[in-house]
Amino acid sequence: MKTLSIIAVLALAIILPFIADIYLIHVVSTIMIFMCLALSWDMMLRTGQLSFGTAGFFGLGAYAAIIAVDDFNVNPVMSIFVGAVFAALTSFGLGIAVLKLREMYFAITTLALTSVFTVLARNLSDLTGGAAGKILFNAIFDGDPKKTYWLILSFTIVVIVLSEIFERTRVKYAISSIRNDELVAKSSGINIFKYLLIVFVITSAIQGAAGAIYAQQYAFVEPDSTFSANFLLLPIAMALVGGIYSTIGPIVGALVLGFTSEYLKLLMPYGHLIIYGIIIVLTVIFLRKGVYGTIMEKIRSK
Amino acid sequence: MRRLFVLVSLLLTLIVLAEKPIKIGAILPLSDITGRQAANAMKLAVKEINDAGGVLGRPIELIVMDDEMKPEKGAAAVDKLATVDKVDFFVGGMSSSVHLAQIPILKKYKKITVWIGAASYKCEEAVGADSDWYFHLHPWDYLQGESYAIGWKAITEKYPQVKIEKIFLAYEEGAFGTSSFKSYQDEFELAKQGTGVWTGLMKDLKGGPFKSAALGGGDYRAMLLQAKQYDPDLFIWAGYDADAIPMLSQAKEIGFSPKLFVGAPPGWPADFGKNPLSNGVVLYGMWAPALKDVSAIAKHFWDAYVQEFNEEPATYFAPLGYTNIYFLIEAIKKAGSIDDKAVIQALREIEYESPVGGVLKISPSRIIKNQGFRAQKILQWQNGVQHVIWPFEYATANLIYPFPGWSTK
Amino acid sequence: MKRIFNLYTFFLLLLVVVALVRPYAFFYGLQRGSLYSLIALPLALILGIVGLLNLAHGDFLTLGLYIGYILFNQFKFDPILSMIFIAPILFVIGLAVYKSTIEKVLKSHHLNLLLITFGVSITLVELINSLWTSRPRNVYVTYATKSISLFGISIGAYEFLYVAASIAVLLVIMLVLKKTRFGQAAFAVGQNPRGAAIVGINVKLVYTITFSLATAMMAVSASLMMPRVSIFPNLGGPFTMKSFCLTAMAGLGNLPGILLSGITLGIAEAIVQSIPGYSGWSDLVFFGVLILVIAFRANRGAER
Repeated sequence: MKTLSIIAVLALAIILPFIADIYLIHVVSTIMIFMCLALSWDMMLRTGQLSFGTAGFFGLGAYAAIIAVDDFNVNPVMSIFVGAVFAALTSFGLGIAVLKLREMYFAITTLALTSVFTVLARNLSDLTGGAAGKILFNAIFDGDPKKTYWLILSFTIVVIVLSEIFERTRVKYAISSIRNDELVAKSSGINIFKYLLIVFVITSAIQGAAGAIYAQQYAFVEPDSTFSANFLLLPIAMALVGGIYSTIGPIVGALVLGFTSEYLKLLMPYGHLIIYGIIIVLTVIFLRKGVYGTIMEKIRSK
Repeated sequence: MRRLFVLVSLLLTLIVLAEKPIKIGAILPLSDITGRQAANAMKLAVKEINDAGGVLGRPIELIVMDDEMKPEKGAAAVDKLATVDKVDFFVGGMSSSVHLAQIPILKKYKKITVWIGAASYKCEEAVGADSDWYFHLHPWDYLQGESYAIGWKAITEKYPQVKIEKIFLAYEEGAFGTSSFKSYQDEFELAKQGTGVWTGLMKDLKGGPFKSAALGGGDYRAMLLQAKQYDPDLFIWAGYDADAIPMLSQAKEIGFSPKLFVGAPPGWPADFGKNPLSNGVVLYGMWAPALKDVSAIAKHFWDAYVQEFNEEPATYFAPLGYTNIYFLIEAIKKAGSIDDKAVIQALREIEYESPVGGVLKISPSRIIKNQGFRAQKILQWQNGVQHVIWPFEYATANLIYPFPGWSTK
Repeated sequence: MKRIFNLYTFFLLLLVVVALVRPYAFFYGLQRGSLYSLIALPLALILGIVGLLNLAHGDFLTLGLYIGYILFNQFKFDPILSMIFIAPILFVIGLAVYKSTIEKVLKSHHLNLLLITFGVSITLVELINSLWTSRPRNVYVTYATKSISLFGISIGAYEFLYVAASIAVLLVIMLVLKKTRFGQAAFAVGQNPRGAAIVGINVKLVYTITFSLATAMMAVSASLMMPRVSIFPNLGGPFTMKSFCLTAMAGLGNLPGILLSGITLGIAEAIVQSIPGYSGWSDLVFFGVLILVIAFRANRGAER
């Protein structure tokens, strides 16, 4: 039953461009980008580390990809790997320094790193185009929305699979024991630091790739909008609304909040963000385990 | 009988066809005052046109989408208007970064686009030279710099006591401020070689960045001290409306009172004129409410807007939004159809007397072929009112020179 | 102990050097840094006692500024005096927000608290935006732009109020925590809520009062800032972030450390801003110093 529904959803996702209008495809593409960010944030959270660096690595990947295409003539699709690798390498170097920190201190440090990246992007103008940013004349696939959609879909599938691998294998055992009790994890011989570093690098690479795709889709980077706090706060809200510590939670959360914000806007052009905020508040109050978690709980209790 | 039936149904189809509205899709940041008022002004224009019988015998339908100042939302709005609402034309615009994300999508549809926002030269590069369907009404950042030179030259001729040799440009460190500074630097290089519009006017230029209050900054004192030390003839700051009064009060605090104190934000705070600090501040802008005293169309727009929405237009995006619709409709009227080629041709040919003040006529800019307004105006706050100083044909007051300083404020 | 003493001596020496070499940067940094601390203190209090990272923190400041603006605009009320009205209004708003939202999710995952304050923040900002539009408002009083001569340089006098107020607010908080029954209870709850409940402290009440009082405390910064800033809906966000930074730099539960961190970061920022051509890098120094201090303390084992 479960396999069947997964196959059905996947099939629907693949053929969507043939049955839906371009607008819906565009909205779903954006939702999937945020979904990947939400998943990557949650994957890090499963180790017990609260990261506020999502927007930072997203932006790094975006810049690396645009610079790769503009200055080094890299193929736009390849540039996504460049974005991912660049974010991974940076996070490896930084991870060694900051992964010793815990809780709020880790969170604030990753947030501060995002600001540092923004300042660098704004001031190293020879490389980054400075405050005005950098543009490419052509978007990826010459702006073909269907191809872009499939690219983002493939990337999302990779991220979902990665998240599931983390859930099901030895990594899961290691990271959830770090989260639950670090001392016990240590005494049972788990090299905490190594696992934290692996997870940090992989999630940063996902964020970098997401940024790279976003930048190639719209063919520009600009410090303020590329490192925008939206790429931090929305994914977190999505993961929490859907339900944390799982793969399905952030997926559901991204779909719920993504569609809500887009279609609420069509219903009420003015003031829709007030309702959006209230919806978030109400979700937290009434669905404490997230949308997915609460639904499953209801089903099970019946 | 049967023939009559055919005739009636044929007529009916014709009427239905003729009555099918011309659809215009507008994308604006509705949570910001610029976007909200531009949308209001557009609705006002559409209402006026429809009340007068529409255009080509067809009514106009305006569909407004909020871009939420987010690039991906603004880009998705283009797709929605194009494929769901199937609009015939795109209008609107404000933020440059939102527009950068929209350009690849707009290029996909190649529908006629008449844009009133996005001043960044990066947007012009992204649009490129071949986009015949793209019309940009707001002056590009570099065009604004050029127009001030023309303005100041005219002013120094009319008021010989005015001297503008040393210029200090305070600019916010984001895209808006830095590209302003860049264009001044380019012009200064040209002026040094004896070419360009600033020749004979600007002898020295210095810049100082600051962090805008709109983005969490708001302490300008270090920069203002540098400006004071430099002692410029003309001090300009390129920032946002939130910087206006803190900038003045900090200048007062450190005793910095240049002969010309100029602000170039896209909008002004509420009741700026009522603040005693504002008296004598010069500003760059596309429009001033005082224009209603010298221009009939500006007066008509002002009155109609106030009557319709029970508030005063507070930003130049209001008259610009109104212009946006009328300019397009005038062209459709002239073209006699909504065929792309004919409308593009007509847009390039018509002249429209705008409530922004001035006649709108398309001409090429550095890259694109279809640029609208090129000049900003030089205005001055005098006793709470924004007066037009230059262009002289729209002048509503004489220049107060030098800047009165702080002693009485 | 000796090591800490050395650190403080070093810090003081550094300040003296800065004051001598770049007096303007010293005073501007001192003033700005104090303002950051003044805003951060209530946030740190809520974090320390309620255990809540309040993303809507700065938006309460914005709300306080708008209340003051109305008082000034409609009733010609002096901005500083309006504190006595803003504080109770903010107290009630804080209480209402706390009771209607945060209290309902206290028992669930602590990140749900973060999310709910995110929702509150969006709602507040957008509500303010639809009530007063995005156009900035200002309050002007002549005394806010007066200058005085200090050690041969002319410097704005008004912002020294930030310094005085941040010290005063810090002292009051410390006194309340140490000397009053409520303060001792709150301190105990912050240390160990379960233990506090066992010894008969009404934890729920302590949380409610702490949150509302801390919100009311924002009236001090709001009324002092009022004549110096533009008031607009998105004003609060950057201050929320700066408050987080200061709290993390000081370390949880270290209230005097917030003042110290604020002044350090303020001065570091001001020094960079005072160097012509390099002021764009001031944020880098701000966050760089922050990261270095946090990492330095972590390596000493304080954060483990």
